[in-house]
Amino acid sequence: MQDRIIRCLFEPLGTGQPNGLSLLINGLGNTLLITFGAVLLGAFLGVGLAVMRSSEKRAWRIPAFLYIECVRGTPVLVQLFIINFVVFASVAVDKWTVAIIAFGINSAAYVSEIVRAGINAVAEGQMQAALSLGMTKAAAMRHIILPQAFKKILPALGNEFIVLIKETSVVGFIGGIDLMRAGDILRSKTYDAVVPLFTVAVIYLILTVALSQILQAVERKWSRR
Amino acid sequence: MIRIENLRKRFGNNDVLKGVNLHVRPKEAVCILGPSGSGKSTLLHCVNRLSEPTEGRIFVDGEEITAKNADLPALRRKLGMVFQHFNLFSNKTVLENLTLAPVLSGIMSPENAEEKALTLLERVGLKEKAAAYPHSLSGGQKQRVAIARALCMSPKAMLFDEPTSALDPEMVKEVLNVIRELADNGMTMMIVTHEMNFAREVADRIVFMDGGNVIEDATPAEFFSAPKTQRAKEFLGKIL
Repeated sequence: MQDRIIRCLFEPLGTGQPNGLSLLINGLGNTLLITFGAVLLGAFLGVGLAVMRSSEKRAWRIPAFLYIECVRGTPVLVQLFIINFVVFASVAVDKWTVAIIAFGINSAAYVSEIVRAGINAVAEGQMQAALSLGMTKAAAMRHIILPQAFKKILPALGNEFIVLIKETSVVGFIGGIDLMRAGDILRSKTYDAVVPLFTVAVIYLILTVALSQILQAVERKWSRR
Repeated sequence: MIRIENLRKRFGNNDVLKGVNLHVRPKEAVCILGPSGSGKSTLLHCVNRLSEPTEGRIFVDGEEITAKNADLPALRRKLGMVFQHFNLFSNKTVLENLTLAPVLSGIMSPENAEEKALTLLERVGLKEKAAAYPHSLSGGQKQRVAIARALCMSPKAMLFDEPTSALDPEMVKEVLNVIRELADNGMTMMIVTHEMNFAREVADRIVFMDGGNVIEDATPAEFFSAPKTQRAKEFLGKIL
């Protein structure tokens, strides 16, 4: 077993080629890049959608509703393909941009529902008080409602982050070499399925467990205030 | 200062206000009494349009707040409001609760707002709580901060929506004292309350509501000693 691990991960895959571990680490970097990019884009779009969805005006509410339903009602892989092979079919953009946009758009729908639940959980009196002081709705949202909502939804947002780490593993379908794809390449090069796939699984596990620990620590710190 | 003309408010099939007319003059303290469900709080929430009137017109300081193109934030700044459940911003310190709105609306610089806020906090006896968060305050302290917060906008009139109803009995007095001081200094006020003794002492006028109508509008002396309507007699009989 030890021999297999050493051969698979630490010996060069051919003359002048990197070893398996550096292939995986490269893939890991791409996985993190896509995830962070998508989380940022998703959070940004998601807050906007949530505010639109909570609006009194139908012209705001309905587009947001349709967006959320369409994105949540179709597989992320279909969305990734549509972005890659339809939207950016004739535009030269790298795979990472495509992936960040696709996963960001996807995540935004889920984030917006989380944020909306958070907005609804903030007592109505907070908005009333802000309005009574002559604040605009937008200012009240920004300074009073969203900060309180954010605190309430941090666990759910963290969970979305973790889900996204795992979901990006389908990016290999459009030719992006992320952690999962790197593991699969390693499998085909070494004719060994066990070591690459389990290594990939363990790396994902370390990422998600570490992230959930960090989030729990942040939550504990915030709830003290 | 506040003129209400034929105000109606309907929630679904429920007529909460059925044509209220009321004129609050400058420096006048008007206490609004009545059984629960009579529309007192709704009336107050319509005055600064936190509730949208179904019909009727309301003028604040000569400007129609019910007009389609009314500048709501600007008009609301003229009306300080104090809520039953305080509604302090729980993500802000006491001081920030006071300074946030004046600074955001640009009517004061951060330095001036802070100076004014500290003066007001001193006036309600809570200067030492400036850096505290609302959750660490007692109900009475929260309500005093809420009053100071409304005053920080230098409003022309104050609306009190059952300011002591959510308080423990021993904290009612500290809040009423602050309101009394405002009345003594000539603040124009509409106060929805169940504190009869307070109303008798502070009010220039008592407005008694029942079933969405104003059914009596009298001086405290008249109202408490010789109510004109049967409904008001019954109400006072139950309470006093």
